[in-house]
Amino acid sequence: MYYLDLHCHSVSSDDARATVEQYLKWVQMLRKRGYQVDGIVLTEHRKFDQGIDYSWLSRQYGTTVLKGSELDTRYGHFLVYGVNHHLLQRFNFADVGLDALALMQEAERTGAIAVPAHPGRYGIGLVEHLANGLDLSALRVVEHLNGGSRKGENERADALVQQAGLLGTGGSDAHFVSAIATCLTEFPSPIRSAEELVTALHQGTFRAVRLEETRAQVVK
Amino acid sequence: MERYFEDVDLGDLIGPVERVATDAQVLDFCKVWGMAASNRFTSREVAQREGFPDAIVPGIMGMAFLAELVTRWSPSLELKKLDVIFRQLVPHNRLLKLHGVVTDKDEEMGLLEADVYLDLSDGDRMVTGKAVFSLPHREG
Repeated sequence: MYYLDLHCHSVSSDDARATVEQYLKWVQMLRKRGYQVDGIVLTEHRKFDQGIDYSWLSRQYGTTVLKGSELDTRYGHFLVYGVNHHLLQRFNFADVGLDALALMQEAERTGAIAVPAHPGRYGIGLVEHLANGLDLSALRVVEHLNGGSRKGENERADALVQQAGLLGTGGSDAHFVSAIATCLTEFPSPIRSAEELVTALHQGTFRAVRLEETRAQVVK
Repeated sequence: MERYFEDVDLGDLIGPVERVATDAQVLDFCKVWGMAASNRFTSREVAQREGFPDAIVPGIMGMAFLAELVTRWSPSLELKKLDVIFRQLVPHNRLLKLHGVVTDKDEEMGLLEADVYLDLSDGDRMVTGKAVFSLPHREG
């Protein structure tokens, strides 16, 4: 199995306080304690750090580091994986009221994928909008487990996943070092690039897990 | 207990410490702070007029609790920086759990970093922060 944290923020996001290197040091500490964490995907708020290369850090710490974005739409936050120049030209990533449906469609068309983040979040999550009649019948994947959720929010996401028969990812939504990898996505085989991640998310053979479950996997 | 830089590692826990910000303590804090007696921190009526559910604990009082958590970890510890994100309103008269974990160790600068948390006793997270501090070295 291969475990990726699909949702985290570094100091590149205005409300986060952890550097990427600090996350990777923490991942090493978790490994020493018997947990399996293979990589992280940086999903900075309202931006895509096109010019930043984390490959040397990735090699130094033996941990996959990929980049995506977390964008603000009228139907809540969306995690975008496989960000490409088409999306960067088509959408103003800094806009806090993006059209979620257009984002999902355009992502799909250009080899990326847009996934609703923390859909159970009170006030802003997708669940609220679906309750108000929003039709997202094309939706296949949502963030199932979010490490930053308050009480009841992951449960609401779980109910959505079960009722609508959706696939679910997991991510820590870390903004501080010690939160990294609290929730992860389990894949059957290694993922080394954003393209491989998008392919794996389309294939559907993944599930959301908590960090503790990776330890059980190692022990087995 | 005196702690030394060399003995601290990533993942070492700070606390937990429990505190309650009582109405009287918030009032005293506001007096020292120089805030007028009746405000969103000390008066339910004022707080509700301003859209809050009840009187709230001042943000800097929560920060003071977190600073105390770190500085009491070791008598010679020097707190260099405390940077917090306020996630939810901290209520009066509720049991608060303060705790932290060491997250980085800069051997060159001789500095340590820790994530610090102010939670309600049921685990609901109110404030998250990052503390930067130093500890004495064993040799001089």
